[in-house]
Amino acid sequence: MTQVTLSALTKQFDQKSDPAVDRLDLQIESGKLTALLGPSGCGKTTTMKMIAGLLRPTSGDISFDGQSILSIAPEDRGAVMVFQNYLLFPYMTIAENIGFGLKMRKMDRKEIRSRVKDMLDLVQLPGFEERRPRQLSGGQQQRIALARALIVQPNVLLLDEPLSNLDAHLRDEMRELIRRIQTEMAITTVFVTHDQEEAVVLADRIALLFDGRLQQFDVPDAFFDTPKSVEIAKFFGGTNFIPGFYQDSEINTSIGRFSAPHSAVGEGDAVLSIRPEAITLGANGDNSVTGTIRSHVYVGRYARFRIEIGEVEVEAVTDPGAVKMFSDGEEIPVRFDPNKIWVISPSPDVALQDGG
Amino acid sequence: MASRRIRIKRKALSEAAGRRLTITVLLAPAILVILLLFMGGLITGFLRSLGYFPLIGLHDFNFNAYTAILSDNGFIRSFIITFHIAFTSTLIAGILAVASAMLLRPAFRGKRFVQFIFSLNLTIPHLVGAVGVLYLFSGSGLISRLATAAGLIDTPAGFPPMVNDPWAIGIIIQYVWKEIPFIGVIVLAILLSVGEDYESVARSLGANRWQAFRNVTLPLIMPGVVSASVIVFAFTFGAFEIPWLLGTTFPKALPVLAFESYTDVDLAARPQAMAMAMVIAFMSSLMIMAYMKLSRRYVRS
Amino acid sequence: MTDLKNVSADQNTELAVPVSSAGSGRRFRLRIFGRWVGITGLLTFLIAPIVPLFIWSISFRWFYPAIFPTEYSGRAWSEVINPNNDVVGVAWNTALIALVVTIFSILLGVPAGRALGLYEFRGKRLVEWLILAPIIVPGLAVVLGIHVLFIRAGLSNTIPGVILVHLVPTLPYMTLVMSGVFANYDTDFELQARSLGAGRWATQYHITLPAIFPGVVVGALFAFIISWSQYVLTLLIGGGQVQTLPLLLFGFVRSDPAIAGALSVVFILPAVLVLLLSSRYLSGDNAAVGGIGNI
Ligand SMILES: Nc1ncnc2c1ncn2[C@@H]1O[C@H](COP(=O)(O)OP(=O)(O)O)[C@@H](O)[C@H]1O
Ligand SMILES: [Mg+2]
Repeated sequence: MTQVTLSALTKQFDQKSDPAVDRLDLQIESGKLTALLGPSGCGKTTTMKMIAGLLRPTSGDISFDGQSILSIAPEDRGAVMVFQNYLLFPYMTIAENIGFGLKMRKMDRKEIRSRVKDMLDLVQLPGFEERRPRQLSGGQQQRIALARALIVQPNVLLLDEPLSNLDAHLRDEMRELIRRIQTEMAITTVFVTHDQEEAVVLADRIALLFDGRLQQFDVPDAFFDTPKSVEIAKFFGGTNFIPGFYQDSEINTSIGRFSAPHSAVGEGDAVLSIRPEAITLGANGDNSVTGTIRSHVYVGRYARFRIEIGEVEVEAVTDPGAVKMFSDGEEIPVRFDPNKIWVISPSPDVALQDGG
Repeated sequence: MASRRIRIKRKALSEAAGRRLTITVLLAPAILVILLLFMGGLITGFLRSLGYFPLIGLHDFNFNAYTAILSDNGFIRSFIITFHIAFTSTLIAGILAVASAMLLRPAFRGKRFVQFIFSLNLTIPHLVGAVGVLYLFSGSGLISRLATAAGLIDTPAGFPPMVNDPWAIGIIIQYVWKEIPFIGVIVLAILLSVGEDYESVARSLGANRWQAFRNVTLPLIMPGVVSASVIVFAFTFGAFEIPWLLGTTFPKALPVLAFESYTDVDLAARPQAMAMAMVIAFMSSLMIMAYMKLSRRYVRS
Repeated sequence: MTDLKNVSADQNTELAVPVSSAGSGRRFRLRIFGRWVGITGLLTFLIAPIVPLFIWSISFRWFYPAIFPTEYSGRAWSEVINPNNDVVGVAWNTALIALVVTIFSILLGVPAGRALGLYEFRGKRLVEWLILAPIIVPGLAVVLGIHVLFIRAGLSNTIPGVILVHLVPTLPYMTLVMSGVFANYDTDFELQARSLGAGRWATQYHITLPAIFPGVVVGALFAFIISWSQYVLTLLIGGGQVQTLPLLLFGFVRSDPAIAGALSVVFILPAVLVLLLSSRYLSGDNAAVGGIGNI
């Protein structure tokens, strides 16, 4: 059980370009599953490599349980990284691959063999000892790579995009496996993903990175309910953003005044954000305005409407039954649930100023 | 119905024939030249080595030339020194080439320049390298002069013989000098295309720097190292001008011995020269087989 | 594969050792230092044999144990340039032979490379073996036999004979390079051009040629160098009647180091030029490198 702390961790590959990782502060809880989420190229792999000791930070510090580990060689850190493309050693058998870490520790060969067997059972590939990596499917290779890391009983497990190279059904399987192993062994685990849904399903906490900078570090729900910026909300599927002025738990916009008890900002210019599900069509009352239905699509389990309200257009998601009740061009009342309205700062940098 | 099937069949047949024709037309000229010159030369040499020389009335095959050279102490000594030259040069060049490639792999200031110098040797003719080694390592060469200036020796004779010496040191230095970049460039390309992630994995799993090199990097580059080394071995076993310039008068390297026997005024030495050429060809055939085997395995993994 | 790009993109010296990077500052600096010692040693070894050649070429008196010549002069160079000595003529001769050899190698090697790179056919391994053999079997092992054949054909002691024998190492090499080029070439481009209305020759000219051109250039440059630096093949087949630069150089090595030095420099020049022109192709995964063992 190890707590990993990153303080002002920075990596700049070359002087001319922006840092790949920029003053990252993060406290990764012991024994938990933390997701490092962000679009491709935002510095996730770089961060992992620095934690594993495979890349030297330009500045900043990494500590395990309060001890700085920057001067410790990768092989002695107890932080094992599993690479995105598995990287099973091609000229070794599966057994040799899994046993690699123990062989490096000069463990007795018999002992290695029996532990390899246990590991193969754990990842549900018993009897694969003598096969070669190229004879395995992607999903199987991924599981072998995981077994190869787990066998050395790491304090910190670093999984780089463990699911992104897999087909949909394999992905579910792998997700289950990771979750199960992680809870059983209670290893501090960091996994990288560019897919917000994956992060939400799997992680205890999510660290969201854009361009090497931490945007928000929170439990999954928070990214839907209380995102710190418009960008974050957009990354998590938010679509409705209406600028206005926030004052006394109310936000005044070009389409009307809405009561909004939840806010990330104080008085001043702000952005009203509301998720499509929180907009109710045909409901009068407080926080309600009139809009015109522009278009709708029927998407199986739900329906998606585009509604024009004054100068702005919002998106609402309802149950499919609504398709029968409303028709395009119709003018209807639209209600914004005040408890689901979240007021965000209009400036993209605000999230960074108050840290993670 | 039936006629249509036949037509399709005939068309397919003619397509295959057309393909065969294309391949033949494309390959024929080159193959013809190689067959005539290379195989022709080899077979002629082989027949002559067996004593077949119709022009002077010799029609019988015999192994006289082979028994003659094999029972000749001079030939055996030549074979040994030639093997020593090829083996030692290849081994040293291989090891240093891997070390150099590892040195040149990461980015550093001035890398482009260093790489340019590194690959410069690829294009510099062996002969020039041999002349350079001669002027550098001979008794009155530059290094000997430096040693004198440093007070280590007083006369050229005090300098340890490094060219035209019995251990073929000068020849080996020249080959190592020339072949480090040859093997090195190949290894470097493999290293760059494989990337450093495999080593990172190994380090992450607990291998120290040496263990990661030994268990991960080396097996990955080995096929490339070996197939390049095979070419180097075959070349150094059969090259003529370097031992001619930097070798001893006895024992001579095999190619030199063969050449001199061939140009000997005594025509009786000719079959023996041919037999020696065949020995050289045989050694390199072994190398080709090794090469084919290794390159196939390399492609597979 | 992304690493390839990254490694070369990384201009930052200090960060040049990703795998290695952890470890205390002192160990890290020590390693950087060790690396520089290694690189310096390597460079020194690589450059060292070339140095005395340059010095000799401008020396007049350079007796043992002087480290540098006691007197310099341009004698060797003026003799090399002097038209009466015919060095220029021999160099020209050498270049001309190499040029013709290169042209023949292209004409024969490109089609053969196409067949090997694009098609699977019965006996392909045999053909590959046949192409590879002359690259690995030393020239000396076959040139004695070739000499016998050439005497009979009246080709010994002639320039055409020398050109033909130079094809033994260059043609297989060119074929190998081109088969590598064609293995990565997609003939669907040609079909696309044909379907867009290009004729057979127009397709070759507008589609095939541009695609394989860099490969042909590299192959040709190295075929030229291989022929340019041939020694024993020329010596035996030319029989002293055909003079080339390497033969000339050999003659001066013991008798006149100054001239030999200057000739060596002349001898290196095209090699350096070729390297400057093609260094970016010389990455080792290129089949071109495979045949350079023959220079
Ligand atoms: N070795 C390297 N040299 C130079 N730039 C690099 C290197 N590795 C990564 N980068 C750059 O750093 C940024 C972050 O990369 P990475 O951490 O791999 O992103 P992610 O894993 O989030 O997709 C990218 O812009 C990438 O190009
Ligand atoms: Mg990544």
